[in-house]
This record gives sequence, C-alpha cells and structure tokens, in this order.
Amino acid sequence: MKTSSRARSLTRRNLLKASAATAVLAAFPAPLIAQTKPFAGVTLHGASFQHRFFTLLQKYIPEFEEKTGMKVDLQLSAFPVYNQQANLELSSGGSAYDFVNVTFILAARWVAAGLLANLDEFTADPNLTPAEWNPKDFVEGAQVPYRDAKGATYGYSWEGGAMLMGLSRMDLMEKKGLKIPKTFAELQQVCTEINGTDGVSGITSFQLHHWNLPPYIQGFGGNIFRKPPGDIMPALNTPETIQGIEFYANLLKSAPKGVLTYTEDQARQSLLTGRANIFIHSSSWVTPILLSEESKVKETSRVVRSPAGPVHDHPASNSQGLGIPKNAKNKKAAWEFIKWALSPDISMRLVKEHGHSSVCRRSIITSEAYRKLNTVNGQDLGALYLEVLELPAKGENYMAYRTVKEFPIVGDVLNKAFEQVATGQLPAKDAMNAAQDQAIAALRRAGTQL
Amino acid sequence: MLLAVAVLPAVYLVVTSLTPFQLTTPGSATDFSSPLRNYGLLPGDPRFVNSLWVQAKLSCWGVLFQVLLGMLLALLLNVPSRFVEFARTFFLIPMVLPPIVVAVIWKLIYTPDISPLYYAAQALHFTMPALTSSVDFALTAIVIADTWEWMPFTFLMVLAALQTIPDEYSEAALVDGANTLQIFWYVTLPFITPILVISGMFRLIDSVKAFPLIFLLTSGGPGTVTEVTNYYAYLLAFDTNEIGYSSAVTVVMLLLVAGISLGLVWMGRRREAMG
Repeated sequence: MKTSSRARSLTRRNLLKASAATAVLAAFPAPLIAQTKPFAGVTLHGASFQHRFFTLLQKYIPEFEEKTGMKVDLQLSAFPVYNQQANLELSSGGSAYDFVNVTFILAARWVAAGLLANLDEFTADPNLTPAEWNPKDFVEGAQVPYRDAKGATYGYSWEGGAMLMGLSRMDLMEKKGLKIPKTFAELQQVCTEINGTDGVSGITSFQLHHWNLPPYIQGFGGNIFRKPPGDIMPALNTPETIQGIEFYANLLKSAPKGVLTYTEDQARQSLLTGRANIFIHSSSWVTPILLSEESKVKETSRVVRSPAGPVHDHPASNSQGLGIPKNAKNKKAAWEFIKWALSPDISMRLVKEHGHSSVCRRSIITSEAYRKLNTVNGQDLGALYLEVLELPAKGENYMAYRTVKEFPIVGDVLNKAFEQVATGQLPAKDAMNAAQDQAIAALRRAGTQL
Repeated sequence: MLLAVAVLPAVYLVVTSLTPFQLTTPGSATDFSSPLRNYGLLPGDPRFVNSLWVQAKLSCWGVLFQVLLGMLLALLLNVPSRFVEFARTFFLIPMVLPPIVVAVIWKLIYTPDISPLYYAAQALHFTMPALTSSVDFALTAIVIADTWEWMPFTFLMVLAALQTIPDEYSEAALVDGANTLQIFWYVTLPFITPILVISGMFRLIDSVKAFPLIFLLTSGGPGTVTEVTNYYAYLLAFDTNEIGYSSAVTVVMLLLVAGISLGLVWMGRRREAMG
C-alpha cells in the first residue's frame, strides 16, 4: 500500500513543482540563509567588568553564535578599569562597543547625559521583541536605576544585589541566649556580647563605606542628599546622619582589627571561616557562606533580613544592567544579544546548571526550581532576595541617592569623614560638618548647581 | 618621537588643566572661559594641601631611611667573599619585584588575622595595633614598605661607590692610628657623599610614585592620613570624574618634581664649579 501511494505521489505535476522550487532556491539562496542566520557576518563588540555571570554566559555564547550567525567579542576587565574605559568611550561618543554593562553607580550619569539607546524602541516593536520576552518580568526595584525621568528604559538588569544579614555562629549565639537581631539596638547588643567569645569578632565589614553605611544613616532618618534625585544638596551633617555615622563607627568596635582597610574578600573570609559572626552585605556575597564548599560554618549559619533602624527599614540594593551605546554600530544585533542573555531560558539555565541565583527575572526567582535550589537550612533565600530588591520600587525610592550622578563625589567625602570618626580623629559632629562643606565645595567645583 | 612620547601628553595635561573637563559634560573639554579657575581653587582645597603635606612626610622619611639603611648594608656587605657576593643578590629582590607584588606582600604582613607578624606578636603576648588602619601608624607602615622596596637601590649605588675607593687611603689612616669610625667619617664618607646625594635625589623624585602601596594598603586612609597628591589626583580623575581639576593637581605635582630635578642639576654644577 505504501509503495503504491508513493508512486502515485510522484506525478508529473509534483516533479514540475519540485523542479521549480529547486530553481528558485538556486537563484536566490542568500535571503533564505539570511532568514536562518539573520546576523551572519556581524561581529558584535561588548564590554563589561569581570563577573561570574559573564564567565558562565561565555559557555553558552557559541550556541547564540550558531543560532544568529554573528560573532560575539566580549571584553571583560576589572571593575574600575571597565568603568574608566566605558566612561571614556561613551562620553567621547565612540562606537567601539555595541553593548555595554550599565554600571549601577554610573547609570544615572550615563542615562542623564544621553549616552545610551532607548530600549523601549526595541521592546515596543513586536518584530524585534516577541511577547514572551516580557520586559515587565524584570524585578521593578532592579530596573529603577535604568530609567530616565520620563520612565524610558536604557538597560535591563542582569544581576541584583540585595543587602542581607549573614550570621555564621548561631551556635555561639544560642549558647549565650541571643536571638537574631531585628533592630539596630539588638544588633549592637549581639555584636558586643559575641565579640571576643572563642576569638570570634562580633561583626565584619569592608572599606566601601559608602555602600555599607547609608542604611544606618537612613535607618535613623537621615540621607546622603536632602531629597534625591530632585534635591541633591548634601545632607551629611544632619543630626540623623551624624547619629547613623556614630552608630556604625561604634558597631565596628566589635569588628576584626584593621577592618577599615578590609576588602570584600577579606570580610567574606572572616565570616566563612567563623572568625566573625555577622556580615551585612549584598546577597551575592553573603549567601556563599552557606553554599560554598570552603565554608566552615555551613551548619551554624543563617541568612536573614538586615535589622531595621528606629525610623526606617532601608536595606540597600543595587543591580547591574546591559545597555546599548547611543552610537553603537550594530544596535539590532546588540539587542538580539541582550534579549538572549537575559531570556527566561538562559536565566533558568544559569540557576539550574550553575547555581547562579542573583538573576533579576521575577518568574525565575519565584519558580519552584529556584526555590528548591535556594532554600538552605530551611530558609527561602529567594524570597528574601526578592523582598529586598523590590523595596526601593515600593513608595519612596530610597536608593535614589546612589544613582544620582553627584553620588561618587559625595560618597568619596563620606568615606573619608567616616574613617576620621571611626579612628577617633574627629568627633562625628565636627567630621560631618567639615564633610558637608567639602561635599558642597566639590560639587560646585564640578559645576553642579546647588 | 620625543615630541610624541614626552611633550605632547604633557602639553595636553596643561591644556586640560585650564578647562572644567568632566567626562560626562559635553563641551567641557574645550571650555577655556575661565582658564585659571582650577589653579585658583587649589590653595583653598584642604585635601590638596593635606596631600602635599602627606607626600612631603612620606618622601622625607622614606628617602632618609632608604639612604641610611642602604649605606649601612653596603658598608656591611663590602667584603671580598664569595658568600657575601652571593648574599648581595638577595637584597636586590624587592627592587626588581613588580610594585603591585610588593604591595600584596605587605598587605599580607599588615593584615592582623593572617599575618605572621601578628602571630609572632601574639606568641610573645604583645598587642599590635592594626597598622594600616591606625591614624598613628598608617603612614609609617607605608614608609616601611617603601623602604623595603627601594633601599636596595641606594645599597647598589653605595656599594658601587665603595668599591671605587682605593685601599691606600684607609690603609694610611690605619697606620696613622685611626679607628673604624674615624676611617668611615674622614675617608669613606667624603668619597660616597656625592652618590648618597644623587641616589637620595633620585629616590626623592621617585617617591612621588608610591601609588601601588597606597592604593592597596590604605586607599589613602584612614581618612586622609596617607592620601598623597598622586592618589588624590587619581580619585579626582577616575572616581569623581573631575579630569580638568585633576590635571591641575597633576601639573602642580609635575612642577614640584621639575623643581627638585632642577635643584639637583644646579647642585651638581655648583659642586663641579667648586672643584
């Protein structure tokens, strides 16, 4: 039966059809191939700072190249080096890069200066962005830094950092009858009581004070600027800010010797070796205490919400985004890469295959697979991560201080002033009065109208 | 070639220092409306003034120790012996290491919870402060590391000078009944003084470049205790984005170093003229 039916289908008409189709294919091969590999021949140049996300992504890039026909040239540099290169490249109007990392602390500066392409033009076009890519799936709090005053989007976040509290020695705390601190006052008490027990320091931290310190300032009701992003007059010498500075300086009396010059790695090491009990920092640094192979405190660790201040509960958060320079040569190809790199599929593969949890797609963070992988010692770390990451988008955007372009100048002054207080060079009030004057002078020198 | 390598960047630095150049302010690189504004702001900038003072302290103490220790070591190792000749090479190692490696070595030594120095102190029941985050010791910690790195330079120079001194002078002094100290003071020192001055001057000029140590050990802190002028210029250019103002700071540094160099040349000529 089968043979006869096949024989029937090989009619003269069918043969003619097949011949015609072959002739068309032979005459116009290029468009058909182009449809399969729409970016064949394009070399896409991108740059970012070195991060595990990109190291992992590089493993999948050959798949992307195979699918699109383009070649991806991804340049990864050290964080400060990348920022300097990107600053120069973008501000000089260069077209060396087709996509770039939009660094959190520089995002406002680049967006305000019009150095990046408006990505809404890509997401609004159904020919360029299928509905299932769903830009609204990105956690709102992580997207805030990549929007301009009118709400246009200039970047999509590939990594989120949510400030959480890691405790390494719950065994010591339980022995002493201490509970996980939920307020600043309880935090101070726990740090003081644990400090020195079994050679363990109460808390650890590192030298990036303008990341670690603001939640304490805000916890007491202060801020870095008067009301950012609209009013960027520094507010470094308000009573609330001074209270926050004094509190944090006092807290660090329970930290290891030399903590003021600690790097992030040193702080993390002191925690995961059990030499310090508490570390309040971004989730991507705190969670390895529980998850890493080298951790000596896996069984006695907890990761919880940062303690709340007497006035506000404002744990810091940040995110890093991918964007397209305004003068990029291959904007559509760059968008294709961003869509792919931040697609639900790749995000989930990063979580499942590599345990990379700091993704910014809500659908992934809330998925069952993510929850299973990120529940440690009975704690749903994903839920904590999402909660903190979302906070700045609910009501007041309290992280706005960090994304205004004036922050690096004021942050640098704040760093120096805090160290003067912490080392007893100056009383907090004097140090912060001087810092306020210096910050205003530096901003005016930089041309900021106050 | 000389124009492209040396003169053009310097000219561009001076030109930039006359503008309010900021990377993200379009047109600021060519705004010469108030060319001396940056220089006018410098005397009133407490961090700039402080950075000059920190640089002066770091340079003076560093050079003093490097010259004295280098000389002492050269005197001790100026012995005709195969073993000593072999040992001399070990003292040159710090100088040939990449500066960042030197900084990492001292970072390990100065970090209390991993440092052998602190373990030893603990074993001796001696409490050591955290050197790099202490107001009283941070600059000293930098001076020690800088001395370790560059003392071999003076050592090498003095050793070469010592080996050119004819033995007859010290033999004659010995016959006249001079003791070791007198031989050093009246015979050796006059011979090596020009080398001590020259190596000291070289080190003084070079001490302005103590960037990696400060970057890695203290980041200029605590507060501004170790913030030297070139570190401040770096922060201005790459942290706070004030390229124009940073250039003005750098031009002032350049003038100071040029002043020291010219002083060195003038001293050398004066010495030659005096015979």
